[in-house]
Amino acid sequence: MSRPASNIETRVLIPGRAMGPAMVLDDTLSFWGGFNPLNGEIIDVHHPQFQQLVGGSILFIPRSRGSAGTPGGIAETLRNGSGPLAFVLGEPDVNVSVGTLVANRLYALEIPVLEISLAAMAQIRSGDFVTIDRRGIVLAGA
Amino acid sequence: METIVAAAHIDQAERLIDISFAHIDACFYNGRAHLDFVNYMLEYGATLAVPSWTNNGLVALNDLSIRDPLASREMDEARQLMQAYVKLGCNPVWTCAPYQLPDRPELGAHIVGSESNAVSFYNSVIGARTNSYGDFLDVCAAVTGRVPYSKLHRDEARAAKILFDVGNIPNTIRRGDLFYHLLGHFIGRNNRNLVPAIVGLSDECNEDDLKAISAAGSSSGSVPLFHAIGITPEATSFEMAFQGQPPVQTIELTPGDLQQARAELGGNSKQALAGIALGTPHFSYAEFDRLVKLLNGRSIHPGLVFYLTTSRHVHHQVRQQGWIESMEQAGIKIITDTCTYFSPAINGLQGKIMTNSAKWAYYAPGMLPVEVVIGSLSECVESAVNGEVVLDQWVAE
Repeated sequence: MSRPASNIETRVLIPGRAMGPAMVLDDTLSFWGGFNPLNGEIIDVHHPQFQQLVGGSILFIPRSRGSAGTPGGIAETLRNGSGPLAFVLGEPDVNVSVGTLVANRLYALEIPVLEISLAAMAQIRSGDFVTIDRRGIVLAGA
Repeated sequence: METIVAAAHIDQAERLIDISFAHIDACFYNGRAHLDFVNYMLEYGATLAVPSWTNNGLVALNDLSIRDPLASREMDEARQLMQAYVKLGCNPVWTCAPYQLPDRPELGAHIVGSESNAVSFYNSVIGARTNSYGDFLDVCAAVTGRVPYSKLHRDEARAAKILFDVGNIPNTIRRGDLFYHLLGHFIGRNNRNLVPAIVGLSDECNEDDLKAISAAGSSSGSVPLFHAIGITPEATSFEMAFQGQPPVQTIELTPGDLQQARAELGGNSKQALAGIALGTPHFSYAEFDRLVKLLNGRSIHPGLVFYLTTSRHVHHQVRQQGWIESMEQAGIKIITDTCTYFSPAINGLQGKIMTNSAKWAYYAPGMLPVEVVIGSLSECVESAVNGEVVLDQWVAE
């Protein structure tokens, strides 16, 4: 079933450009302890997407999780090239944003972080092709 | 400062406030990016604006032999990382339970907590105020002495919203130490990111029990602040905890909820017991006291490994009692500066491992080749002595 591409309203937390396939997480994730930054694999055995890889995706995460190691895990996966191309969050998350900021400062990587409503996120399916520009406009469609 | 301002933008904070203390998590190695970051700070001549204490590192600085020698490059970088934070000016306490040390922050103090159990304990049990800062932002805050005035720094965000009632749990269960780990796990699973209040805890509930709730809740979910009515400082009454508003939801726990939490964290199987891991978060002096009494001079069954992690400070206190020597003679390996559930594995930690910690039980199976059984401290001790899993009555009910 194909759906038309649609623009989604966002709030820009960290600006940047990215395009790639969506990966929509079904649950929140700790990027420390629940995630391997070497290969970008979800290693939390309690997570519904256990053993899936997040690399090369526009990663949609509905809720954030209070894990101190999240910025470190994100900076390291980005350094290794095993991380997502962008993060789209259901609520503002400082720790995800700081991870990408540090990767930007240390490794000159441009990884946008956006916030969208949960209602908008519910419209996105894993595999949808997503384009993000520096103004934070998300274009998504199957 | 750029990072702090970016954080303020994300949090939509109108201003920054001063902090008086920071607990730094960025010294825990999780790859080269950690080392690149602190070296960047050192190169630019960064210094600390407030007293800053270190969380655990990946290695035990005084015993580099306890992890896999094949991971030596990683181990070497982890050691360099820890030393870099000492160079930056941190107080090297190397503990995830800094609140067990003297000179802890006071009620109402604005601080930076980073490691998730410490954030929860500082907010909930001490009543200091911190958001869940995380790596790098904790260092930026310690260097600038400032954080955005947002979320848990503000009165209104500290109001409880959801009530967990444990009044229907039988006293025999409610008084045990494992109960608090299972309760924390359940709350983290069910609080919907709202500040929880707990009603019905036993008056005998102590700081180790509250530590268990802090750690378990922050592993299975996000619980940077909880209130225990009649016990924690911002919840001397129900009205105070909820700031005069009614709860949006009340959840009454049943013994079945606790059984389910226990099963999720690791029930018993037929595989032979390989070892015990205690001290997540770091073992307190009071927990050592209980352990020594439970062991009562007995030794660990030959063939089992038994690891226990604690801080240097508590290790020193316990050594003065002569307990370190007696526990080592009994077969317990006591480790400082680090924790045991992170890879690369502590030597011998594989197969079926028993722990009293919901946090250890939650994380270890993803990182180590282990199958976890969770039990109370007493069950762990009896299992260690007997060389097989020994569980109390209510498990089978």
